[in-house]
Amino acid sequence: MPTSTTYRVLDLEINAAHERDRARAMDPHELIALVEASGLRGRGGAGFPLARKLAATRTAAAGGSAYLVANAYDADPGSPLSRTILLRRPELVIEGLAIAAAAVGATKAYLYVHPEATTARAAAEKALEERRAGLGDLQVEIALGPGGFMGGEESALLAVLESRRAMARQRPPYPATQGLLARPTLVASAETLAALPLIVRDGAEAFRMVGTAASPGTKLVSVTGAVASPGIYEVALGTTLGDILARAGGAMGTLKGLHVGGPTGGILNATRTGVALDYEPLKAAGTHLGSAQIRVIANDVCIVHEAAKLFGYLAKENCGICVPCRVGTKRVQGILEGVYSDLGRDDDLPWLAELADHLDQFSLCGFGITSASIIRTTVSEFPDDYRRHIADRTCPTGSCSPARSRRYETMAQP
Amino acid sequence: MSLLERYTQPAESQLPTVSHQGEIPAGQPTCSITIDGTVVTAVVGEAILRAAQRAGFNVPTLCDDEKLAPAAACRMCLVEIEGYQRPMPSCHLPAEAGMKITSASDGLFAMRKQNLEYILSDHNAYCMPPCQVGCPTHIDIPGYLELMAKGQHVEAARLVKEVLPFPYALGLVCPAPCQEVCRRGLVEEEIAIRQCHGYGGELSLEMEQAPTPFPQEAATGKRVAVIGAGPAGLTAAYYSALKGHAVTVFDMMEKQGGMLRYGIPEYRLPKVKLDKELNSVWQLRDTEFKGGMKLGRDFTIDDLFAKGYDAVFLGIGAWSSNELRIPGEDLPGVIEAISYLSQNASGDPVAVGQGSRVVVMGGGFTTFDCARTSRRLGADVTVVYRRSRKEMGAHYTEVDDAEHEGIKLEFFAAPMRIVEKNGRAAGVEFQRMALGEPDASGRRRPVPIEGSEFVIDCDVVIPAIGQVPVLDWYEGSPGLRKTRRETIVANGALMTDRPGVFSGGDCQMGTVTVIQAVAQGKLAAKAIDRYLAGDDMNRVAEEIRAEEEVPELIDIVPYKPEEPQVRMPFLPFADRVKSFQLIENGYDKAAAEKEAARCLQCVCPDAGQCDLQRLSLEHGLTENRFHRAEPVDYHDYEYDFSHDFILRDLNKCINCTQCVRICRDVIGANCYGLMGGGYDSIVTTPWNVSLSYTDCVSCGACAETCPTGALMMRERDLQTYELDIVRCIYCGDCVEVCPHGALGETPNFELSTYQRFGVTVLAKEELAAARNWKPSEHIPLADESQRSAIRPPEIRPPGPPRWNA
Repeated sequence: MPTSTTYRVLDLEINAAHERDRARAMDPHELIALVEASGLRGRGGAGFPLARKLAATRTAAAGGSAYLVANAYDADPGSPLSRTILLRRPELVIEGLAIAAAAVGATKAYLYVHPEATTARAAAEKALEERRAGLGDLQVEIALGPGGFMGGEESALLAVLESRRAMARQRPPYPATQGLLARPTLVASAETLAALPLIVRDGAEAFRMVGTAASPGTKLVSVTGAVASPGIYEVALGTTLGDILARAGGAMGTLKGLHVGGPTGGILNATRTGVALDYEPLKAAGTHLGSAQIRVIANDVCIVHEAAKLFGYLAKENCGICVPCRVGTKRVQGILEGVYSDLGRDDDLPWLAELADHLDQFSLCGFGITSASIIRTTVSEFPDDYRRHIADRTCPTGSCSPARSRRYETMAQP
Repeated sequence: MSLLERYTQPAESQLPTVSHQGEIPAGQPTCSITIDGTVVTAVVGEAILRAAQRAGFNVPTLCDDEKLAPAAACRMCLVEIEGYQRPMPSCHLPAEAGMKITSASDGLFAMRKQNLEYILSDHNAYCMPPCQVGCPTHIDIPGYLELMAKGQHVEAARLVKEVLPFPYALGLVCPAPCQEVCRRGLVEEEIAIRQCHGYGGELSLEMEQAPTPFPQEAATGKRVAVIGAGPAGLTAAYYSALKGHAVTVFDMMEKQGGMLRYGIPEYRLPKVKLDKELNSVWQLRDTEFKGGMKLGRDFTIDDLFAKGYDAVFLGIGAWSSNELRIPGEDLPGVIEAISYLSQNASGDPVAVGQGSRVVVMGGGFTTFDCARTSRRLGADVTVVYRRSRKEMGAHYTEVDDAEHEGIKLEFFAAPMRIVEKNGRAAGVEFQRMALGEPDASGRRRPVPIEGSEFVIDCDVVIPAIGQVPVLDWYEGSPGLRKTRRETIVANGALMTDRPGVFSGGDCQMGTVTVIQAVAQGKLAAKAIDRYLAGDDMNRVAEEIRAEEEVPELIDIVPYKPEEPQVRMPFLPFADRVKSFQLIENGYDKAAAEKEAARCLQCVCPDAGQCDLQRLSLEHGLTENRFHRAEPVDYHDYEYDFSHDFILRDLNKCINCTQCVRICRDVIGANCYGLMGGGYDSIVTTPWNVSLSYTDCVSCGACAETCPTGALMMRERDLQTYELDIVRCIYCGDCVEVCPHGALGETPNFELSTYQRFGVTVLAKEELAAARNWKPSEHIPLADESQRSAIRPPEIRPPGPPRWNA
């Protein structure tokens, strides 16, 4: 039976090394079954059940070598969740890595961190040195990412570990069947792995006591923007956005919107505080859990400008391999800048919808696919901001100054 | 097994490569997949794209090469697969038994088109030059201008004659649609394109034997009858003869030339020189001209087939003037424009003389030919047109010249009736017009102003308001069809409803310009050749339509120093009134070369072979929505022209990474990679250095695989390398290391040279002689008796090697 009912990863009293040894003593299939019963889903944003990844990697390895990567990269600079865990509970990540390694049969693991996360890295290195003896055969190496948003993408980080440019790779095949050096590789976020010692200690039932039936457990979220107490909070999955906002002290000024999911996430308007922080409800609302950043937007912000800024960031950060993402993000940025520079036209909105569909359907990785949600949500949740700019040629908040003097024009070929 | 695994396995354990065109070799594990409802056999684990290509599905792709691991970068080959949430790249996904695939749908088409629009929105480069697109014959204008600028005028004339057999005549009379769209016009002034080929044509006239674009092909034994020796007919005859067919040209007039001779007056086109140029047709083998033979009077189309002709081309022109349909039109003094011009051209007496008062009605080329001819005969001429100067069909220079020559122009006046006096025409009554709503042709329709009638007194009235073909032979020629405008109906391959009978020029299109007639003659010759080879004419028509529809895709003008057009000497206006002397005197050699050098060469050498261009055309991408924004929205890269063999133009790069993969995985030199981030990502060398500083082995694999013109093999300028025979020890090292095999060994281990990529290795003495040598000429040799020997000869030392002496 659980000794604690809080299940907050950050406050957990646990002897992680002991749980690692227990897990190693278990039959791997049993261990995977335990994780499956716990319903643990990937904390990286996509919410893929970890047990299925473990099983797929183990099957694909078929007794051969397999790799393990703990993604502690924190691609979204506004959501340093892995850094928080590494600073406060590095042993959970390292021992979670060891438990996952036992489940898939990997002997080589990487802890993949952001190059700028120096204090978190130091904490992880220290914890790793302390625990090296207990890890036995498992080699754990701290690997540095290249910096930038793209470095955290699961296939791009494999390229980085292979000493190549951080470029997304088309899936399938998924890393579980073909990852690092074309071998089966389990890529899981540090936060996901940190939950493993707990599940091993208390069992699946206990883990399911918090969170929802579909998504058990807690989740770290980063609340930023116009909020009284910005910071990292650990909440149960299924908590409404309004409750999280209340825990962070409420919005500064009048709440206008909540930007959920990091740079590629959509922006929900102030009426959506009842949406639960969970994979499916957020998807239904038009955005995604993503980096679990909840950025609070106050009334003095023009959403068109906000969307253009996001696409400007994406146009700078994408890996450059596929056309929809490389050129598409830049062109969407241009159109949005045209709109907030009061050069918009009525047909810009259907045009944006068309380009959003293209990003969604034709992009190579989640970067481009999810970025469509920015266009879709801002247009549907804040129609007034677009209308004021396009029809009335004024900024709804009076905050936009023109970014460009010329908009995109159609040129017919002779 | 996944694709990546296939490519990462050691070579010996890999499956044999399955070419996308070949059959599946025996022993390969296969499975069945369904593509667009068709069951296709695929090798297990091969890319879906490969199987689709082998089965004949046209799945577009820009980054796939079967030699290379897939990149899934261009996103063009995405297909819908049952069970997958999103379209998947077929170049990357391995075929699995039972897959249900949709390779073409409206949704995919629109998405692929969007992809291409994105790619082209940052494709900062020229595609087709607008002049070449604008010219109905599509002459390679930048090509011949470049040759002319280099002084290679005969080569230039050859290039022009590939599509335009009569550059001299067209150099004088063409309305030059090419010049109107010339991009140099955006800098200061357009290139005088037609004068340049006019010079090339004039140069050809002075040669004993006119240059041909390519040697006449061996006789095919087929016979082609061409009716009408005008520009369309003679062009068809010229190219049919070059293709090896025997050609007989019939014409109702005694002499050749059609409207060129009988319609266009001497001052625009001297007939002596015209004859000289047209004679280039008769210089070809198996060509014959039969003058004074009129269709319907002297022979019929059936007669021609009965006499053994295999194909007939109808290029009979439009020789009948439209009627005014006003009272008094039949009065003496009202003369027919075409017969007036042809009588004057033939030297026959005409009704116009010194002091005549002439009214010419109309606004086209014929109008001004009549007016300016009359002026030269000493008449006092008024041209009356019912719309404004802007709507006139004649070229604006023609209108301006006419005015300068002392011809009065009267606009917005429509004729009401011919005024009669003593049984003759004595004037024309006109009514003033105003411009109303635009009509079907886009020109604003003139509407009469009541009570504005006025009379212009005159002795001679020449209505010149357009011509129609004379189809008096039509009844006796079954199988043909004509339109309401009295033109002959032909399909896209210029074939009429009667198989083997082709038609082009004025009689098929209605009155058009000379260059359009020539373009039709060229197409007809091509179609006739295919017809005689027994090809399906519907397919030929489709091919011709596709070839003719090549829009330019990009418009960017790089800076070049301003350089005004080289002016051509013109006959002074004062000298023109009583003389039929040629007005345009043409360029001399220096002027032609100087003018040709002004050309911006705004053409991509890859146009025609470019996959991006082909796919854009296939997807009907006629407009781009991302034009004319801020400079930050587009890239402008420096060219890398520093490498001896490979040209790099990053502006045309589409980041398909084929060069990266082929250089790394096939060649092993690993010269390319992606640089920059996000939108600024670009495939280039490490730190974007010159390709010369990389491990490049000059193999050209990257240029070969590049789907656009971003990487191209450099066109080698003809040049010579110096070889000091005295110091050469015949070690053969150069032979060993030359990557292109430009040097070889003879059996007795001496050096020999080949001429590869236009580079000749010469000994010192020969080099000295070659210093004054023009590349288009023979290499002059010290010993002229060697002329007949095949060049270049083996290099041998003058005597036995020294160590033997």
